[in-house]
Amino acid sequence: MKQILLSFALFLRNSKRYRETKETIRDLFLNEHNPYKKYIDLTIIFLIITSVVILIWEVKHPVPRWLDLYDIYFVSFVFLIEYILRFWVHTDWSKEIVDAYHNAQFLHSDFHFWRVVKKATLKKLKYTVTPAAIIDLLAILPAYRPLRVMRIFVLFRVLKLLRYTKSINQFVEVVVNKRFELLTLLFLLTFIVITSGIALYVLEEHINPNIESLFDAIYWSLITISTVGYGDIAPVTDIGRMISMLIIVSGIAMISFATSVIVSAFSERLVELKENRMIEQVNKSESFLIICGYGQMTKMFFRQRHQGLENYIILDNNKENVEQARRDGYLAIQEDASRFDVLSRFNTEYANITVLCLTGNDIENIYITLNAKSISSRIRVIARVNDVNIVSKFEYAGADHLLMPNEVVNTMIRIAITQPTMYKAIHAILTGKSIARIDEIHIYDTHPLIGRKIEDMELKRYKLLFIGIERNGEFLFNPPVTTEIQLHDVLLVMGRQISIDYFKDQNRVGGVV
Amino acid sequence: MTGKRILLFGYGGHGKHIAQGLIEDGFTLKIVENSAEYFDRARNDGHLDVEQIDVTNDALLKLLEPQKFDQIVCVMQDEHLNVFLTLSLRSLFKSSYIIAISDSIHTTKKLKMAGANKVIDMYEVSANKIYNILKRPVATKILEGFVHNTHGITLREMLIPEGSFLHGVMTDTLDMSPYGILLIGLIDEELGHKFEFITTGINHKLDSGDTIVCLGSKEKLEAFEMLIKEEKSL
Repeated sequence: MKQILLSFALFLRNSKRYRETKETIRDLFLNEHNPYKKYIDLTIIFLIITSVVILIWEVKHPVPRWLDLYDIYFVSFVFLIEYILRFWVHTDWSKEIVDAYHNAQFLHSDFHFWRVVKKATLKKLKYTVTPAAIIDLLAILPAYRPLRVMRIFVLFRVLKLLRYTKSINQFVEVVVNKRFELLTLLFLLTFIVITSGIALYVLEEHINPNIESLFDAIYWSLITISTVGYGDIAPVTDIGRMISMLIIVSGIAMISFATSVIVSAFSERLVELKENRMIEQVNKSESFLIICGYGQMTKMFFRQRHQGLENYIILDNNKENVEQARRDGYLAIQEDASRFDVLSRFNTEYANITVLCLTGNDIENIYITLNAKSISSRIRVIARVNDVNIVSKFEYAGADHLLMPNEVVNTMIRIAITQPTMYKAIHAILTGKSIARIDEIHIYDTHPLIGRKIEDMELKRYKLLFIGIERNGEFLFNPPVTTEIQLHDVLLVMGRQISIDYFKDQNRVGGVV
Repeated sequence: MTGKRILLFGYGGHGKHIAQGLIEDGFTLKIVENSAEYFDRARNDGHLDVEQIDVTNDALLKLLEPQKFDQIVCVMQDEHLNVFLTLSLRSLFKSSYIIAISDSIHTTKKLKMAGANKVIDMYEVSANKIYNILKRPVATKILEGFVHNTHGITLREMLIPEGSFLHGVMTDTLDMSPYGILLIGLIDEELGHKFEFITTGINHKLDSGDTIVCLGSKEKLEAFEMLIKEEKSL
């Protein structure tokens, strides 16, 4: 038995396919950033909603048989599968056993098989007592029909939705933060309710026909202190009414105190909650920009390209800058982009992130570059360099592109002085005026231009100027017109934006050739 | 073009690099500073014609005789001073050609109002580069190469001399392929002193006196420039 279980665990551990499958499913269920997670979530939410709608409809109307079957078997079955999968990916049972086995072998110590199995199993079973797992389990129960009362468990399916709402977690967090104040209040409340309940019970039990037990008196006390006051039980003696008045006053005081505690706790965290929301929002997109620093350069960037720039977030350390950015209508949060935990909150695994280090401080820009690259080498970094002498440091740090505004300005001034005519041309090209755009055309698989000669493209007809081809990392300037276009070439053309767009449209895959 | 005289105000972060570049290009330079620190720096860097004056004083500015210079470049470290200086120079010398740099949109506007002929925004080009990197990375890389002349391919402007074979040629029929260079644009003096890109699609008639801007390798550009001059002598 022992031998069989151990070899089974070893087999599972060594199976690459098993591990990969498990990892995929774990990621699918637990990783917020997994792009496919939302489909699973939506399916579950759909099942929950239909199930509850059927429950309500059923109260007054007959439900068709197929719908009943769907509710009993299909929904419950899907939930059961979900429960089992979540249970499965919670911990790695086989890993624990195999690791313990290898450790024992390594140390030549005794291998207490059952003890290890017990430990691993207990760890796994811990999942079943987490609140989410209990709700999941209860949500499966309505499948058991003979017990009519089980129908009410359908409502636990609604509770399953809590998994998808962030606000409830935030509320719980706020309450937990203020637990000292709230617990004090709760003790006080319990004390007053019980004392006044007992007092009324002792004073009026014989006189008041509505009070038959201590429970009645305590119920009255709570209804009164909460200022709800149903009026089903009311004191009849003067002394009873005096107790009423006292607990009403203390009730009002306590409710306002509790409200103010919760409100102040929320307002303290409001900024943080808002910023979390912004980050979540931007994390949903497949590719986005993280712009570090809201200075002149960022302002200019936005001024040039405000349209068509949706997925971005501005991080700035300086509160004034953040407020300025918000006043200008941009999404900005006050965070230090050079901190690891700040950048790792973004969806670095699945999204294409470009970090723009645009602060005026070179040291900070280098630090942000390093920080981004240390989180994931997939993050693209475009960094601003102020001091030309430290370009190599940025290259070591791993920046993908460098912007050197000082150097560019110096070049531009030199051109403006030495070649005033060309200045206009270069300025128009470099600032991307739509009249003189230099654009690239990537030749992918099955592109209609493959195998055609440059002269056949009739670029003159499109009012485009052919500048050259980038082929295998080398740039061929103004190649002979008989050159054939190959796969993976990048063609460089110059012209007005509309000419380029028109040409691209005419020569796309499946387009008119 | 060499031998031109430039009056450079400011020897701060930008002034230093600009001065160096202009000396390399063969310009004669006079540097004016109002801060002692930058003045000393300019002296230490080996510039001979350096003056330290209070640039807010009009009488002293007049003594510099800016009208004798071809161009005035204002790159003072202090942005406010730069705007003030531009304004003073413009009010004193109506016909001088003034180039100034600006580090924000608002300053650009103020400098233009103050009368600068050309205002170069620090961030305009760089900010656009971000967008270009995101949208068309290959083109951006190659474009940088043209401007900084790293691929050996560069832009050059040429004046069409009297009697050149280009005189009277229409741009649509002009075939540049034998020369291995590209015609990017031109200033057609008939249509006013304005730069036009060839890709705007207007068929220009080239005349002597027009300026054309070409892109190509240095040797080919030089050869072509010789060619348009030679034809004249034939």
